Amino acid sequence: VIIVVGVSHRTAPLEIRERYAVSTDQMPALLARLSSLPGNPEVLLLSTCNRVEAMLRPTLTTPSLAELATLAKQVLYEHARQAGNAETNLYAITGDAAIRHVFRVTSSLDSLVVGEPQILGQVKQAAEFAKASGTLRGLLARSVDRAFTVAKRVRTETEVGAGTVSVSSVAVDLARHIFGGLGAHTVLLVGAGEMAESAARALGKEARGIRVCNRSIERAAELASQFGGSASSLETLEDELVHADIVVTSTASQSHIVSPALVKRVMRARKGRTLFLVDISVPRNVSPDVHEIDNVYVYNVDDLERQAAGALSARGSEVTKAEQIVESEVANFHKWLRTLDLQPMIVSFRARTHAVLTSELERSLGTRLKHLPEADRAALSQMIESATNKLVHAPIAKLKEKAEAQEEGDFVRTLAELFELGDPGASSSAASDANGDESARPRRVTH
Amino acid sequence: MPGVDLLFLATALAYLIAAALFIRFLLGTESGVSRVTPSAGYLLLAAACMHAAHICWYSLVLHICPVNGLHFPLSVAAMFTAVVYVGMRTRFRIDAAGALVAPLALTTLLASRFMSGGALAPTPGVKSAILPLHVTMNLLGIALFSLASSTAVLYLLQENRLKAKRLSGLFERLPSLDDLDRAEHRLLLAGFLLLTVGVLTGTLWATKVDAVSSSLLRTVLGYITWLLVATVLALRASLGWRGRRAAYGTLAGFAFSMMVLSVYLLRAGVP
Repeated sequence: VIIVVGVSHRTAPLEIRERYAVSTDQMPALLARLSSLPGNPEVLLLSTCNRVEAMLRPTLTTPSLAELATLAKQVLYEHARQAGNAETNLYAITGDAAIRHVFRVTSSLDSLVVGEPQILGQVKQAAEFAKASGTLRGLLARSVDRAFTVAKRVRTETEVGAGTVSVSSVAVDLARHIFGGLGAHTVLLVGAGEMAESAARALGKEARGIRVCNRSIERAAELASQFGGSASSLETLEDELVHADIVVTSTASQSHIVSPALVKRVMRARKGRTLFLVDISVPRNVSPDVHEIDNVYVYNVDDLERQAAGALSARGSEVTKAEQIVESEVANFHKWLRTLDLQPMIVSFRARTHAVLTSELERSLGTRLKHLPEADRAALSQMIESATNKLVHAPIAKLKEKAEAQEEGDFVRTLAELFELGDPGASSSAASDANGDESARPRRVTH
Repeated sequence: MPGVDLLFLATALAYLIAAALFIRFLLGTESGVSRVTPSAGYLLLAAACMHAAHICWYSLVLHICPVNGLHFPLSVAAMFTAVVYVGMRTRFRIDAAGALVAPLALTTLLASRFMSGGALAPTPGVKSAILPLHVTMNLLGIALFSLASSTAVLYLLQENRLKAKRLSGLFERLPSLDDLDRAEHRLLLAGFLLLTVGVLTGTLWATKVDAVSSSLLRTVLGYITWLLVATVLALRASLGWRGRRAAYGTLAGFAFSMMVLSVYLLRAGVP
């Protein structure tokens, strides 16, 4: 019932992924475009260093899932094409595989560095954004909430996140391999976001000093003050590069702000002193051609994460445990979905029973029992409620049990026939509406 | 077996074991190992000391100056290389260079023993008081160039790995780029100063004994080596030629100094 369309570190290199990256500014428009596709889908858009994915759940039967996936791919491709050549195979995952994928992504099992803790926060942020934009609702919202629960289980019940090496610590290690000790070297942070702060925390302990260069000088000063460094605006970048040895770039710029021409000028001024650039932004801030210049080393987020993944000790058994949790949760989710489909039938069955009993009571209250005072009438109504619940409890429990075992077909038909509940095939048709989005929908997609 | 031969064997054995330990460290697969076992350094130091003792003993037995002829100078250069390396290994964190220095010292020790079969004294006509100084300076210079070129090789290996983003195995054991570059520069500079004295004394001596024409090739190669190293150092100071370019320059300087040495070796009987 859910479709996941996108690119990830498994299917596309960083130079392609960065073109699909969606900035906070671009997010509302892209969410609106996706949610206005035929099928009126619910949408969540996730854009991280490792992946750009749109999760959609159509609320109408047309178009088909395959057609909707193609349309969503087109939207993402057109977005990426604005940033350059974005030719790649966007994947589309549907059905149980899509749910499994959402759970695995949120639990950090599909990250380049398995077990890294950032992804959960990134999915939460994306969900909040989509909820605020009104595109995440109904069943998709509940699936994502479920994914958070699964991620929490994986975190608490396995050691999959233990000993994870952060991108910043890999950068520090690399800096040591280039410079030896860092005590005589200056760190320059280009951009003053969370990533820059994390890098400053890792590098700042050993470095001679920290400088922060940012579009907003106020934010630069704020970050610099935390580490006893100095701040400057992005206009002074060239000068700053002359004096710094380790440069961490993390701006939201959609294009390269550090070009080969700039670095060649800088290297002349530096008299060839080694320059190490750590580009943790997606899209990248540093042109990859800069790496070709003598005595200049550029490492991007994929390079660092690959190194971090390689540095992890063997945690195969923990990953297996985590995968088992995901599998059991996918099965639970599937069961839950099936019981969700029966909800209209259950509501109808209860309403029918309640109506029969109420009608009999009202008839009696109009004739033989019309002398009863209000208090007694209220007590009788209460009794009818209890009787209804007791009468329907056993059949409903049995129905759910059958549904979980995927054997509810005959039982549903028999129940419908016995209690004149109408067409049992239609029982599932409004399932998600009853549990999710309350807005009127013509028909629901079945799976 | 005479004691001097036993000392030679012990020296060779110590070099061999030290070389094996350094090479094992460099090519090892165990992750997180960044320093060689301390015994490798001690063994190399012991080998260099025995080597020095062997040179002294042997020269006493044969009654010749260790810096005369072909046999000893090679051996002395190898011993100097090992001693200088042991002295600066910890300071410059160049453990990995031991994997080049120890085998080089061993090879040179064996070569000096088996190539000429004995000491060759200079012909009486070219004997001069400047000659020992000339040879000593050149030998020390070559020793330092050997070390500089060893670190240059390691620099190029490490740089290649960083550029190719192959960050495991050998990469973890090699010293940092800056450490290698700094060590290489200082060794080259020190070697250049000694070579300058060697070239000056050589010129003086050649003029005095009128030997320029008889050893023209050697003289020209010597000047080219000096000019080449001077250029590498000057470009580094003026235009910032560091890293890869400096490493290639150092290797070129070392190659030329080896050519000069080869001319000596190929012309038996000439100092």
